Amino acid sequence: MSIRRRLRLWQLVVEQSRGRPITVEHVCAAVIGATGVDGVAVAVALPASLREVLYASDAVVSEVEELTVTLGEGAGVEALEGGPVLVADLAAPECESRWPIYAAAAVSAGVRAVFALPLRIGAIRLGVMDLYRAVPGSLDPEQLADALQLADSMCAILLDAADGQNRLRINRSGPEPLGMRHPQVHQATGMLIVQLGVTAAVALIRLRAYAYAHDRRLVEVAGDVVARRLRFHRDSDADDGDSG
Amino acid sequence: MAETQLGDVLVELADTLVDDFDVIDFLHVLTERCVSLLGVSAAGLLLTDEQQTLQVVAASSERTRLLELFQLQTDQGPCVDCFRTGEPVSVADLPTAGRWPRFTEAAAAAGFSAVHAIPMRLRTEVIGALNFFDTSPGARDPATLRIGQALADVATIGLLQERAIRRRDILTSQLQTALNSRILIEQAKGVLAERLHIPMHEAFKLLRSASRNRNRRLSELAQAVVDGIEEIPPPAGRHG
Repeated sequence: MSIRRRLRLWQLVVEQSRGRPITVEHVCAAVIGATGVDGVAVAVALPASLREVLYASDAVVSEVEELTVTLGEGAGVEALEGGPVLVADLAAPECESRWPIYAAAAVSAGVRAVFALPLRIGAIRLGVMDLYRAVPGSLDPEQLADALQLADSMCAILLDAADGQNRLRINRSGPEPLGMRHPQVHQATGMLIVQLGVTAAVALIRLRAYAYAHDRRLVEVAGDVVARRLRFHRDSDADDGDSG
Repeated sequence: MAETQLGDVLVELADTLVDDFDVIDFLHVLTERCVSLLGVSAAGLLLTDEQQTLQVVAASSERTRLLELFQLQTDQGPCVDCFRTGEPVSVADLPTAGRWPRFTEAAAAAGFSAVHAIPMRLRTEVIGALNFFDTSPGARDPATLRIGQALADVATIGLLQERAIRRRDILTSQLQTALNSRILIEQAKGVLAERLHIPMHEAFKLLRSASRNRNRRLSELAQAVVDGIEEIPPPAGRHG
């Protein structure tokens, strides 16, 4: 069950943080713990569509990440544009034709398998989380499910970091999932884009910030926005019910 | 139902598949055609994410109440049962069946009496379910359900884009992409609903007709709307 997975993985993240505020590094360590990969990196998408490596678990991973950014080629680049890119063997012939420079360079750096997961919430492209293995082999469905769940937590952490906050309180269940569980959250994000004149990322950050500040669930606040019981204003936080 | 009608629908769907098609748009058309072909009142399509949870991806109407009813079935109801067992679930009369109390109550409130769920299968794996609602109680004849299964299979093919797909990683990627496209469309609906002062389901209609008129993929246009790169004028007769 998904809720059990969520609790188990969040427990893993919390253990990594040892009571300190949760960071990108802690989630990456949990990814390694849960999936048994050798390295993890997070690269963020910048507005100018350049990417910057935010975190790499070791030197090998760091080298391959920098390579991806420099070349503009590789699993992570494709994952940023589309869905997950899962490569069980970078030395396979099809990888050579797919990424002529990247594949060979990654192999010689000491990486044989890469699993690039987009950190995306609809139109919001935060970056990618890349999992690396020194030996060929795919992730089994359980490991992949864990990795995707942790990618969701990573999105929440990056959104909070962008806000200059670290709001991920160490509660039992972790951050509220950002997936399709509650379409209102995404509809409300769209509405806030217009109300505040901001990007989708900032709209979602503001929505989450409001929920935290008022100690309410994100989905409830989103429901109020969609029902037009709550409006946000450009120069203040939000006013309740001023438009009926 | 006339065979030519079924033929027309299959040709239409096949045509969509050869283009550079948009998966959400394709699945939306498919649910609409389920309604017209099978004579059901509403159709919806749910896909599994990697956490083995069902998510609503397309529906024959974007009315909020209907979407919520489909969404409710991600927790309990015929869709979840169909997904878990891989077998079709057909309930001719919900109240007398006495299963899924919360779902039955919500379905009744929305005016539905009968429900059918058909699994979307890829070899041994169940990747989602096609869900139909009827306003009047009654069983569906086997021929209709067979056509429903055929449409569910077409949906699976469309989703995977490649008929000979074998690799688990491509399936994962396609499912994740479809689910993310759905989020994108919800965001775009929000932008349009707020900017043009229209209800959410109208926002979807507007987005979709604009994507048709401009010959753009639905998710591409949705991205451009969310990014503020493209605007869509209010529907005729309205002033936003």
